Amino acid sequence: MSKDLKFLVVDDFSTMRRIIKNLLHDLGYSNVTEADDGKTALPMLQAGDFDFLITDWNMPGMAGLDLLKAVRADAKLAKMPVLMLTAEAKREQIVEAAQAGVNGYVIKPFTAETLKEKLDKILGAGK
Amino acid sequence: MSNFSVLKSEYGAYVDTLGEALERGDETAFFKAVDHIVHLREPKMFAEIRKLTGDLQKALDRFSIESRLADLAEHEIPNARTRLTHVINMTDEAAHRTLDLVEQSGPLAERTAREAAALLDAFAAFRERVPVTGFEGIVRSIEAFLPLVRAFEVFLPAARTDSEQIRRNLAEVLLAQGYQDLTGQIIRSVIKLVEELELALGNLTRLSGDMVEHATLGENPSAGQGPVVPGVTKGEVASAQTDVDALLSGLGM
Repeated sequence: MSKDLKFLVVDDFSTMRRIIKNLLHDLGYSNVTEADDGKTALPMLQAGDFDFLITDWNMPGMAGLDLLKAVRADAKLAKMPVLMLTAEAKREQIVEAAQAGVNGYVIKPFTAETLKEKLDKILGAGK
Repeated sequence: MSNFSVLKSEYGAYVDTLGEALERGDETAFFKAVDHIVHLREPKMFAEIRKLTGDLQKALDRFSIESRLADLAEHEIPNARTRLTHVINMTDEAAHRTLDLVEQSGPLAERTAREAAALLDAFAAFRERVPVTGFEGIVRSIEAFLPLVRAFEVFLPAARTDSEQIRRNLAEVLLAQGYQDLTGQIIRSVIKLVEELELALGNLTRLSGDMVEHATLGENPSAGQGPVVPGVTKGEVASAQTDVDALLSGLGM
């Protein structure tokens, strides 16, 4: 599995972005860029050559679900793996995210093992 | 001119005409005069109706603001209290978890540093000892070096174990900082409630004027609702990652 993957981590809380970035580093992924909401992230995704998107749900500006829908609606980005990492834990929300085409869903607070497991699963499935 | 003399000048002529027509038995003239009087009265009647409608509108606005305030006081403020208490619990838990890990890591790092310093001293002493030449000198050197080797054999695995433990503790400390995100979201929702309360109270005091703004706090589920708060969040929620995984695998993911 390639460790040169380029990640975009989208969360409105800088502490959470730092945590995710650190965990990705520990897993060997050092190419990580940050964005603080969907509105900032979407043009970055469209302009950059990102391989993987990790996004929060509840964010000001553009929520993670809307970002996910925008990614799936964009021909260039449609196939990008998206992991939702969020505190939103209602059944209907998880179903909604699945219907919108999310590849993985992790609820906060989470563990390093869960993140690794989901990343491996998504990346393994894409090969 | 007094009010009554205004009335007199407005209606006088028509009342006279009315009286004359009655006396003459002129029905056409009688009804014409009545029509005139009714027309005179109409604008005043409409002004009265407008005023009544305005008062009614104000009363309704007041009622809607007051019932929203009652709703806020009855449900959302106690909810906010529960949310804030949850924030305190989460920050408390995260702070203690971090402190525990720091307290656990400190002695490990100190022990490694202390033992490394002792070894360095022993090593320096070995290097500085008076050189003895010949076979006997070599044997003495080896004899003097053996305890150092044994000390290294004890130190290195312990240092490795301690460093690994410290690294694990640091990773745990990192994860514990996640509370900032979760509590931040809860506090934001309480701030939003306070804003609404402020607006509703402001509107209530402004009601003497004509401007009535309606406070709205529409819940938009696709914008996200923040972390689950025990006792506040309604509906079916996933309490652990395993619930999410089970739900998603049920959906064929």
